[in-house]
Amino acid sequence: MPSELLTSERDAWLERYRSTPTGREKPSRYWKVDLDALETALPSGTPGGDVSIEAPAGRIVAVDLATAQRDSATLLARAFGKAVVPAMKFAHLARAFTRVGAFVYIPADYASDEPVVIRYRSSGAESIFPHTVVYAERGSRATVVEHLDVEPGSFVCGIAEIVTEEGADVTFAAPQRVPGDARVLYTRAALPGKDARITWATAELGAALAVADIAISAEHPGVDANIATLFFPSASQHVDIVSTVDHRVGDTTSETIVKAAATGAGQGRYLGNIRIAAHAQHTQASLKDDALLLSKRAHIDSIPALEIAANDVKAFHGATVGALDDDAIFYMTSRGIDRAHAERMIALGFFEPVVERFPGETLRDELRAELQRKIEP
Amino acid sequence: MSEQGLRIHGLRCSVEGNEILKGIDLTVEPGKVHALMGPNGSGKSTLAFSLTGHPKYTVTAGTATLDGQDLLDLPADKRARAGLFLSFQYPAAIPGVKVPNFLFAARQAVRPGELTPAKFRALLLEKMDVLGMDPSFLGRYLNDGFSGGEKKRLEMLQMAVLAPKYAILDETDSGLDVDALKDVGDSVKALRASDEGKNTGFLIITHYPRILQHIEPDVVHVMMDGRIVKTGDAQLAHRIEREGYDVIREETRALA
Repeated sequence: MPSELLTSERDAWLERYRSTPTGREKPSRYWKVDLDALETALPSGTPGGDVSIEAPAGRIVAVDLATAQRDSATLLARAFGKAVVPAMKFAHLARAFTRVGAFVYIPADYASDEPVVIRYRSSGAESIFPHTVVYAERGSRATVVEHLDVEPGSFVCGIAEIVTEEGADVTFAAPQRVPGDARVLYTRAALPGKDARITWATAELGAALAVADIAISAEHPGVDANIATLFFPSASQHVDIVSTVDHRVGDTTSETIVKAAATGAGQGRYLGNIRIAAHAQHTQASLKDDALLLSKRAHIDSIPALEIAANDVKAFHGATVGALDDDAIFYMTSRGIDRAHAERMIALGFFEPVVERFPGETLRDELRAELQRKIEP
Repeated sequence: MSEQGLRIHGLRCSVEGNEILKGIDLTVEPGKVHALMGPNGSGKSTLAFSLTGHPKYTVTAGTATLDGQDLLDLPADKRARAGLFLSFQYPAAIPGVKVPNFLFAARQAVRPGELTPAKFRALLLEKMDVLGMDPSFLGRYLNDGFSGGEKKRLEMLQMAVLAPKYAILDETDSGLDVDALKDVGDSVKALRASDEGKNTGFLIITHYPRILQHIEPDVVHVMMDGRIVKTGDAQLAHRIEREGYDVIREETRALA
C-alpha cells in the first residue's frame, strides 16, 4: 500500500517504469519532448502534495487514501491497482512515489446527483503523485470531479482508477488547468462490471507538458464505455493523449469523442485505440476525433488505431483535421456577426460536444471561459 | 428618394476565373416582391452570393447599393448590418453553437442594444410560434443534423428575427413539400405584415413557379446565362409554368 512502500518495492516499481516503453514517437519537427527520457527531468526532493475531499451528504464514503487503508482496507483492496495494466508506463512511476490519494466508495444501489470533489494541492514547485481509487458497487451511480490545484513548476504523475460492479454508472471528470510551466502525466483506467456504464470526461488545458493514458477495459457483457476528451495546446504547450477501449467480450458498446485544437506553437498528439477481441461479437464501438488548427505553427497528429478481430461488430471511425470552415464563417458573418466573433463562436462550439459531458453548469462554464481565453489570448 | 432600393447596375461576377454574371441590372424597391427565375446554372445563386459578399465570388464590374449605401466594398457582416439578408439554399451546419445564442448574436449585431436576453427570448418564441416551430429547436446546434425542411424553417426564423430591409431567398422553396412551401409563404407574409418588415423588399430566387402561388410577385425576372433576359409581371411566371424556359430562350434568341 502506498504510504508504506519499502525501498525495495519502490525500486521494483521504478524498474518496471524504466523497462516499460512509452510506445510514443521520438521528438521530431514539431514535437519536442522525449517521453522515454523523462526520468532525468524529475524534480528533486521528497514527493509532496495533499488532498481535500468534499463528499455529498449520504452514504458515499470519500476519504484520503491513508484513512481508507486504516478503516476500509477490504473495500479498498477490491479496486486498488485492479484497473491499471502493466503497459501503462507512467502508472509505474506514480506507484513508486504515491503518498497522497483518495478513495471513493459508492455502496450498492446508492445514487447521488451531487459529485464527489477531490482536489490535489502542491505547496510550491514540488512533485506530487496522486492516486484516486473509485469503487462502485452493484447498481450504484455517482460522479467524481478531480481537480489539480498545483503551484507553478510542479511535476504531477498520477493515477485514477475506477472499478465497478454490475449495473453501476460512474462519471469521472478531470479538468486539468494547472499553471503553464507545470508538467502533468496521468493514467486513468476503468474496469466496469456487467451492464455498467463508465464515462471519462477529461480536459487538458494547462501545463507545459500534459500526458494522459485514458483506458476502459470492457470485460463483461453490457458494458457501456464512454471517453470524452478535449485538449488545447497553445503557446509552446505539448499535449499527448492515448485513449484505449478494449472490448474483451461481446455485447459491449463504446463511444470515444475527442476534440482538439492547437494555437501558437502548441503541439498535440492523439492516439485512439479501439480493440475488439475475436469473440467479442455484437460489439458497437465509435471513435470520433476532430482537430482544429488555429495557427500556422500549431500542429496536431491524430491517429486512430482500430484492431478488430471479431466479424459481427459495428465499428465507426471518423477523423478530421483542419482550420475553421470558411462556409461556416461566411454563414455567420452574413448574419451581421463580425468575423472575429464568428470565429470565436465556431471554435468554442467545436469543443461543446465534449464540454457538455462534464457534470454541472458551473464547471462547464469554467471550461468554456478557459477555452475562450485560449482562443483569444 | 431615388437612392432607395437594392440597386444593381452592370454587375459582373466571376468564380475561380469563370465569368458567371455578365452584367445584371435589377432594382428591388422597398416593400416590393421581385421573383428571379431561371433554369439551373443561369447564375441566380451567384447573384445572391456576390451581393452578400461571399469571398469566393469576385465582382469584376458594376455597382450594388442598398438605400444609397455601396455594398461591394463592405465585408459580409457589414452588408448584413446595412440591412441585407440571404436565406441560404444550403445553410452551413455549425456544431456546438446553439440556435438561440447564434440568433441573439446576430440580432445584437444587426440591431444593437434593442433587446435584453429575456426580451429576445420572448420574441424568439413568438416568431417560432408563428412559424409552427417546436421550442426544442432552441436546444439544438445550428443546422446540425437538421432535415432540409428544418433548415429552411430556421432560415425563415432568422429572417423574422432580423427583419432585414432587403431579403434574398435563394431557392428556399427547393426540396419542400406543399405544407412547408406554404409555411415559407406565410413567413414572408408575416414579415410584411409586421412593423419592422412592412417596407422589406424581397428578391425571391426560384427555379419553379410554385412558390409564387403563395407569394404574389410584383415583378418577375427571367435569368439565363448570367443575364436577365426578360422582365414582366406575375403573368410571366404563369407563362413559364405553362410553357417552360425553352420558349423564353427561343424568344430571346429571336430578339438578339
